[in-house]
Amino acid sequence: MPAILKKDNLQQLLASLSQAYKLVLPVRENGMTFFRPYQTGLTIDPDYINTATSPKEFLFPQTEKMLSFKYRESADISITNEEPHAEKLAVFGARSCDLAGIAALDPVFGGRFPDPQYSTRRDNVLLVGLGCRRASASCFCQAFNIDPLACAGADIAMIELEDCFAIEARTARGHAQLANFSQLLEEDHSGGVKTSLSSAREALNRSFGSLPDPAGVKDFLDRQFELPYWEQIASRCLGCGICTYICPTCHCFDIFDVTRGKPDGNRYRCWDSCMFADFTGMAGGHNPRPTQKERVRNRFMHKLKYHLDRYEIGGCVGCGRCVEKCPVNLDIRQIINDINKLQGVEVNGQ
Amino acid sequence: MSEKKAHQEITAKLRAECKRLLETGTVHTVIGFAPGSMPGRTVPVFITNPQEVAQLTWNPFCAANLSKYLLDHHQPGGKAAIVVKGCDSRGIVRLLQDNQVLRDEVHILGIPCRGQYDHRKIPGGLEVEETEPLEQGTADVAHPELHLEKCAYCENPTPVIYDLLLDDAVAPSTDSKGRFTEITDLEAKTAQEKSTYWDDHFSRCLRCYACRNACPACTCRECVFDQFDPDWVSKRNNLTENTAFHLIRAFHVAGRCVDCGECDRVCPVQIPLRLLNRKIIKDLDELFEAPTPGTDLNVKPALGDFTPQDPDEFH
Repeated sequence: MPAILKKDNLQQLLASLSQAYKLVLPVRENGMTFFRPYQTGLTIDPDYINTATSPKEFLFPQTEKMLSFKYRESADISITNEEPHAEKLAVFGARSCDLAGIAALDPVFGGRFPDPQYSTRRDNVLLVGLGCRRASASCFCQAFNIDPLACAGADIAMIELEDCFAIEARTARGHAQLANFSQLLEEDHSGGVKTSLSSAREALNRSFGSLPDPAGVKDFLDRQFELPYWEQIASRCLGCGICTYICPTCHCFDIFDVTRGKPDGNRYRCWDSCMFADFTGMAGGHNPRPTQKERVRNRFMHKLKYHLDRYEIGGCVGCGRCVEKCPVNLDIRQIINDINKLQGVEVNGQ
Repeated sequence: MSEKKAHQEITAKLRAECKRLLETGTVHTVIGFAPGSMPGRTVPVFITNPQEVAQLTWNPFCAANLSKYLLDHHQPGGKAAIVVKGCDSRGIVRLLQDNQVLRDEVHILGIPCRGQYDHRKIPGGLEVEETEPLEQGTADVAHPELHLEKCAYCENPTPVIYDLLLDDAVAPSTDSKGRFTEITDLEAKTAQEKSTYWDDHFSRCLRCYACRNACPACTCRECVFDQFDPDWVSKRNNLTENTAFHLIRAFHVAGRCVDCGECDRVCPVQIPLRLLNRKIIKDLDELFEAPTPGTDLNVKPALGDFTPQDPDEFH
């Protein structure tokens, strides 16, 4: 049963949260919304549908130092591993799609050989989800059965209603933190929250446009690798990295050493993009994905098939960022629709 | 003629012409715009079948500069017809001057333009019900306040090079005072203010390279930013590397940037990249009286030409 947080008390909740955690929250900046560090008086963008970039950067930063090395001719190479980043971080206002994005990243970095950097950050993060009030023209999380009000995977889930927030803890960490705020919370004696929730849900559902149906897509892609269709998509694609860098589930990285011409240096890992020509460049010059056709195929296969193959979790969470930002309007929803049409042709052709 | 009638008429004329070009084998491919997946968007299309020309559209949301698609790694098929606005046509001149594209390999369909809407300005400015009429050309009111920044002062509403013009020419603005207003404002800032301004923007950069990939002046087969040995600019995302990226790019396209504004339009974090290039265009104007690059096929890029009469010594 969710408790009630009056809107006037939000500021105090953020202030208290910032005592225990480094707090980031969605803030309006240059006409867009980004997760930014909390400062006294800073409050959340009241109108944001979602942030311009996803919160994955807090668990998997774009640039991360892994180790430093020293080399002396008289001695062995000495290597100092970078200590995992153990700062306690609270991400306030994560949407359901982005929480699903984190759930999709967890098995990648936390599998049989857990990544120490990701795992440490993950162990120290408090995820405060905030249910959506409305969908944008590019939102389609519901196509993947993600409930934009549910905040599945959050430690604390909140839903904004007319004059208050409904708030509830979902995990032990969430309960422990919410207990600190008990003086800010009220019980829902009248049961008004339940009524407000159902009207909030109705309004939210109405704001979604038509959804693509991904149900048969993976099955079709399992059988079809060499589709001429990918050439059509590739001819439009500019080969930039926007879609991969703003995607909440894309997680490819490149590892390289920075030495400044000296034998000493640092090893970093940085985000990389399968849209880039050099992404699969190999020593000796061979490139197994020589054209944009192979690259766009990989991206959409990864979103709609490979991630499901490996982890039984969807690789696309319907956040719509790539839809919104692609400079040439490559829309994954349209691609799902097109694949469904191709599937119809395949079936009728047999 | 009202704006809405013009859209429909231009679209009809465009389809008829493209059908003819494809049927007669004059061109192999038509590169144009089709309706996008959302209101206020269009999508580039490549049409080879004359029966499919009905996909083509023209409306004030045809913001993308399609000229980059002419590069052979995008279009290996043969002669292409391409739809261009005035600003885009300077991109064609850019590619022709750099011998990236040969004149007899391209058939240019020019459309005089009265301004393109910036869909990023629409959500706060107009409801979908108002966007669609704009797109379909059935709106009674034009909204210049929702145009892309570059449209506020347009040097070439009518393409500077074309094989066929699909509408009557539109005269450029006669008021040249506003041409560099945003640059003189920036120049008036102190060094510290300028530094703060650009640091704020560059620290937000994702290094997705969309600005580079959309740019008709960026035609290197292997870009310096993709080289990793030596790694002139590292993949690390930090203010230093990001600044190096943007400044190197600005200087690399200096004298060649045609001010089509694609870098500005495609940036996912809205870095005002066009200002950097506009500053250089202003300097070229003041130092060499050079027109905006791409304006005239016969005028070589200011930094790509020399004369023995140059008043300055070579060093």
